[in-house]
Amino acid sequence: MMRLDALERRFLAHVRGGQVFPREWCAQGLVDSDIGLAIYTNAYASRLREALEADHPLLALYLGDRLWAELCAGYIEAHPSRVRSLRHFGQHVPLWLAGNKPFSDHPAIAQLAAFERELLDVFDAADAARVDWSVMQAFDAAAWPGVRLRFHPSVRLLATTTNAVAIWRALKDGQSPPEAQPSTTPAHLLWRDVDRVSRFRAVDEVELLALRSFHSDRQDFAIVCERLARIRPANEVPALALGILRQWFEEGLIASAASDDSAGST
Amino acid sequence: MKDRAVPARTSTPEARASGVRPWHGYGLGLRTEHFDSVLDENPAVDWFEIISENFMVAGGKPRHYLDRIRARYPLAMHGVSLSIGSSDPFDSGYLRQLKQLVREVDPIWVSDHLCWTGNGGINSHDLLPLPYTEEAIVHVTSRIGEVQDFLGRELLIENVSTYVSFANAEMDEAAFLSEIVRRSGCRILLDVNNVYVGSRNHGFDADAYVAALPAERIWQIHLAGHSDYGDYVIDTHDHPVCEAVWELYARTLERLGPVTTMIERDDAIPPLADLVAELGRARRIGSATRRLQPVDCA
Repeated sequence: MMRLDALERRFLAHVRGGQVFPREWCAQGLVDSDIGLAIYTNAYASRLREALEADHPLLALYLGDRLWAELCAGYIEAHPSRVRSLRHFGQHVPLWLAGNKPFSDHPAIAQLAAFERELLDVFDAADAARVDWSVMQAFDAAAWPGVRLRFHPSVRLLATTTNAVAIWRALKDGQSPPEAQPSTTPAHLLWRDVDRVSRFRAVDEVELLALRSFHSDRQDFAIVCERLARIRPANEVPALALGILRQWFEEGLIASAASDDSAGST
Repeated sequence: MKDRAVPARTSTPEARASGVRPWHGYGLGLRTEHFDSVLDENPAVDWFEIISENFMVAGGKPRHYLDRIRARYPLAMHGVSLSIGSSDPFDSGYLRQLKQLVREVDPIWVSDHLCWTGNGGINSHDLLPLPYTEEAIVHVTSRIGEVQDFLGRELLIENVSTYVSFANAEMDEAAFLSEIVRRSGCRILLDVNNVYVGSRNHGFDADAYVAALPAERIWQIHLAGHSDYGDYVIDTHDHPVCEAVWELYARTLERLGPVTTMIERDDAIPPLADLVAELGRARRIGSATRRLQPVDCA
């Protein structure tokens, strides 16, 4: 008689469309075991497809039924769920799209998927208090070069080489999406505001450099200004940097600011 | 989180008759679609049941609403991914998240299903059937003990709808569940709809199934709708509770006495007011039940 582990292994293989579960291992009740097994097989595929569609409603719309079905079948086969919550089942979708034809021939598709996943992450990222510009005003001049920022946990930076976000926007508004083409901006910034509304906007190369320096590289204000001076005239950098910083504070992106050069911090 | 809401209805006839069974009245499954309605309308619902996994997130709207609803209503935590019957080792990360959520929510109780959801590290996200064997009893009992020790509290284990049974079964489902409950000390979340679905698919007597369970261990009842395909029935939670399930529920209460009850709805979700109205039928059946004496808790 089969052991529990063997039964589960064979049953799951059948449910996933692989090796058939032996009919003689099933009891035959009012419902024939072939029908019973088919109920589980259908439920497996449809549940995972529904999870992908819940996470990627506009990608599904953009691709149309045939390509969407192709994506779901290919992804479910390549990435069977190893997570406990369906919330994370589709986490590899952008990477899978970028590496599998015909999707990989159109980079906007993977970037559209990446944008939708970033929105999911923004939605349920950790909460944190935010600080306003007065925090910066409290630093004395000597402390400013050493100022480092901690961003709200919901802040995400997505590099975009295509107009995937414009495609997403058009689909969201019920309009025909524009033709896929190279992006006019290098990245998009996404975050959740104080009212728990997800926000996003394009960033130019100057702000992108500032964001990467402050956010990804955790550098201080002095280093950030040095980096900005490589792509903009040095005399313009202080005003440029201040403008960018003020906008981040006003948008609720900053959870705290602290300086290496003073005790002042929040 | 803020202080938890206090349980309601401690002086109803049902509460007085519930014996050792904690009595929390009549609840609903908390669904995202109803978050705002719950806060805006303060519906006449005694408690809500949350799907634990939906709140294993860091923050944002899910946790915002959870915090506020928890301040007004008692909550039960109902999981779908414990996979208590799997032959895989437990997912320690999942258990830690579950324990953390239990600490934060302070639920009236924690439940999951008598099933397995995955094998070999792959999760089906479905409630898959176990063979009713001594080997499975030993395995599941040990695993329930492990989880109960880890959480520091007893679990409620729910009977699931099944569409396949196995040739190596050594007993029927009710005997299997009863023995696991007896050995592990866990409680039962009796899904009356699942009993009905199983009786239709496998041809057993639903009332005999209920009668075979240890009554004093049945702490909660689930009611839900299903899809009836004539030759078989699928537990879909996308319809109102059907007449046959209401009738089985009434007979179950006549047998058991008052049991904390809730309605699950997971698809084709109607306005909250419709579910509150449907829950009213459970209240009426509960208050009309003749068995308002404490159950024998020997």
